[in-house]
Formats: sequence, C-alpha cells, structure tokens
Amino acid sequence: MKTILVVDDDEAIRTLLQEELSDEGYRVLIAGNAREALKKVQEKALDLVILDIRMPGMDGLEALPRILGLKEGLPVILNSAYTQYQESFMSWAADAYVVKSSDLTELKAKVKELIAK
Amino acid sequence: MDGQKDLTTIIMAGGKGERLFPLTRDKAKPAITFGSLYRVLDFTLSNCLNSGIRRIYVLSQYGSFSLDQHLRAAWDIMHPDLGEFIYSMPPQQIMVSRWYRGTADSIYQNLNLLQQERPQQVLILSGDHVYKMDYREMLDFHLSRDADMTVAAVMVPRQEASSFGILKVNAGAEVEDFLEKPAKPPGLPGAPGFSLASMGVYIFRARTLVEEVIKDAKKKSSKHDFGGDIIPQMVGRKKVFAYNFRDAAGQPRYWRDIGLLDAYYNAHADLLGKEPTFDLFEAAWPIRCRPQLYPPSRYLSPGGCLAVGDSLIASGCTIEGTVNQAVLSPGVRVGPGATVQGAILWDGVEIGAGAWVNRAIIEDGVKVPPGFAIGRDLEQDARRFHVTENGIVVVPNNVILEE
Repeated sequence: MKTILVVDDDEAIRTLLQEELSDEGYRVLIAGNAREALKKVQEKALDLVILDIRMPGMDGLEALPRILGLKEGLPVILNSAYTQYQESFMSWAADAYVVKSSDLTELKAKVKELIAK
Repeated sequence: MDGQKDLTTIIMAGGKGERLFPLTRDKAKPAITFGSLYRVLDFTLSNCLNSGIRRIYVLSQYGSFSLDQHLRAAWDIMHPDLGEFIYSMPPQQIMVSRWYRGTADSIYQNLNLLQQERPQQVLILSGDHVYKMDYREMLDFHLSRDADMTVAAVMVPRQEASSFGILKVNAGAEVEDFLEKPAKPPGLPGAPGFSLASMGVYIFRARTLVEEVIKDAKKKSSKHDFGGDIIPQMVGRKKVFAYNFRDAAGQPRYWRDIGLLDAYYNAHADLLGKEPTFDLFEAAWPIRCRPQLYPPSRYLSPGGCLAVGDSLIASGCTIEGTVNQAVLSPGVRVGPGATVQGAILWDGVEIGAGAWVNRAIIEDGVKVPPGFAIGRDLEQDARRFHVTENGIVVVPNNVILEE
C-alpha cells in the first residue's frame, strides 16, 4: 500500500483528504503544520506529500525544499486555495500545483500519476 | 546597459582550489594574490564594474573569511541607497541543510534570492579567472538569439583542448554537447584547427535557470555542475548558444583559468614585457584592487647601477639586488647582492643579502635568509617545499627557512 502525507493546518481539509484518499486505496498520514510534516518525512516511509502553502509558522514554500533535502525525489503536490504562488520560483520545485477545490478529481489524478512514476 | 535592473549577477567563488595547494590552504582561490597588487577575484569584479554592473552576489563557501576581508578592504565602494551592492553569500542553510554540492546546487540553494529579485536574465560568473570582458556584449548576443542559456567560450588550439571543458557547436553557434576534457576534442565549424573551451561564464533566462537547477537537484546521479550536468540536460530541449570570446580580427581574446600552480605561474609571465599578452596598463579597462598606503619603491645602489628589468614592482619595495622577470607585491625587500629571477613574491617578502631565488612563488611575509638558494637544486627544494611539474618552487609562509 502506498503512503501519502497530507499537510494542512485546516482540520476539515485534513479529514476530507484522509477519507477520500483512503477510499482510493492509499494509506494516509496527516500533519497539521510544517514542522510536524518534516518530522514525519524524516521518520516514515512515504510515497507522496500533499502540501498546503499558507500555514502558520513555517509555510509550505519554506517546507518544500527542506522536504526535498530530507528525501530526495519524494514527489510533492502543492495544494493551495491561492493561485498566486504558482508564479513563485519557490513553488517550482514541487511536482505539481493543484488549486484547492471541492472537486478532488484533479488532485486524485495527480496523485495517481505521480505515484505511478 | 538597457534592462540592467532586470539582470542579476552571481559570482561563484566557493571552490576549494585544491590544485593550487599550498596557496589555498588558508584562503579561497579567488582571494589569492595575483599580479603584484590584485586578488584573483578583482578581475571578474572589475569586469562587472567596467560593464556597468553594480549589483553583485558573491557566493562563497571554502575560506569565506578571506573573501569577506578582501571585499571589505577593496570593494566597499557600492552605494546601497542607489540599489548597488556586493554581497558575500556563504550557504544560508535556509532552504536545505548542506554545503553547496556544485555550481548548479549553489543556485538552487539561493532560489529565494532569485525570487526576491525576479530578474529577467541571470549572469553567472566564476571568481577565479583572469580576463577582461564586457558582459554587455555577451548579454546583447544572448538577447539577440532569444537564448535560454548562453555560454561564453574561447577558441583554443585543438591539440591543446583536451584539458578543457569543450563545447560542440553547429555553424549557427548553437551548442550540441558539452565534453569534459575530451580525448578527441571536436573542431569548430569554420575554424577546424580550434575547439571552443567553456569559460564558466553563463547568461540564463531566469525562468529557465530556475527550472533547470530544480530539475538537476532532483537527479541523484548529478554532480550539479553547470558544464557537465546542466548544459547536457538542456541541449536539444532548450536554446543553448556559445558566445565566442574573440577580437574584431577573429582571434581568441585572453582568458585564463588559474586553477593549477603552473597555470598561475605562467599567467604572471603574460603580464610582463613592453607589450604584454595581458596588459594591466590599459586605461580603458582599469582593474581595481585594494588601496594601500605605501611609500614609493626605492632602488639602492651606492656607487653603481642595479640590474632590474622586465618586472612589475609595487610600491613600498626596497631593491638592492638583481631583479628580472619578476612580479613583486608591496613591501618586498631584495637585499644587496641577491638575485630574483622569474619569481612571484607576495607582500612583504624579504630576500636576504646574496640569496638566490629562481622560478618560485613565495607567499607573503616569508623571510629568505642571506645566501639561501631557492630554485637552484630542485631535488633539495622538493624535500622542503612543493615543486610543480614544471619545476616551480612554492614557498608557503608557514615554514621557517634556516641558513
């Protein structure tokens, strides 16, 4: 079973993604902030990370290179309600940028695509 | 330069310079003395200044204090209130907790800097080369080709090209491959007796640079080097051009990588003579160095003349012996009856009376005792000092010479 880490400060989104992705047959771990996420990246065997950008403390764009520094080649999807970070160079290190939506079709497709790689 | 605010300039100055040991044992390669008054980095920084570039990041790593010291002493000339700066940047450890793994990785680790600047183009330079180049001409070429990346390159005779990183180009100057020290270097279209050697000077479209260093950072097999990794990664996918660094007559212009002790020594010979290969006296292209207060040099020869010829001699020297084909930094003393031939003497070196120095590099502050000989018996020298392949004796300043 493939393992996905969902990083989001919004509990509702964590719960939603955990349920939906579990239904897809993935094992889902959650982290409520970037520091917790970095700890899990270090400790757990992961196949993919879904990373929110706007979070208190360390934001997703700061956490992204650190995640990649800890686990080279680990696929990361940035998942933000905002589109403006797409133009930030710092977001380009992610494998995909998916704008948050109640419709999870795009996110699920990206997850599937990146995990199959 | 038009659109100069759209250009970010980054000088790579973090290399360890192991092949210049012992000169680099306690300082960065770009911080070592060159050509009497200068530090190697002064040539690249002067090129920037003479090209109208006044916003410069110097990426340091190994021996960064020596670079900081020099930047403070010689290059504290920018006006931050006008948006000008020279910043020395060791690895920030903000993005990742590691040293720079290679030239491309040093850019990757500073993506936040590029994000702050959001330039259109990025000029990437090396801090350990000796040359005079107007980067505006290269930028014009880069923009006129709408290139993703332009690599500056100099023609070298094909039979000597195996010691360089060589660019394989087509007739339209588009780069087809990068070959690190190839056994059979490819000839240049239109000039088959020559190959094009990469000068380690690059201009990138900023967006492309970011994409490519990110891509490279994810490759486990990569050495994260612009020449060996980024160029091959881009060839065939992106527009990569070679900018041939030559004069109006089509002859290669002067460029030296002083990465080896013998190359460092030989580049000094290029400074000497009435019409030197590399002219420090060109008024149109001043090379800036650290300003120092020294009295004039004096030549002492009671009752006769001294034989001093074909040399560069800085201020503050006292010469009482014979000096020929030598490069003397400030404050050097050559005692009565001493002979200095084909030598590079750094600041404050003292050559005792009757001593003999031939084909040597002597670090700052070394006191050569009276009657002592360096470069006369290489076997004996090799027991005490480093002697290069070409027989140049290198005397570091952490040894005490005895009579």
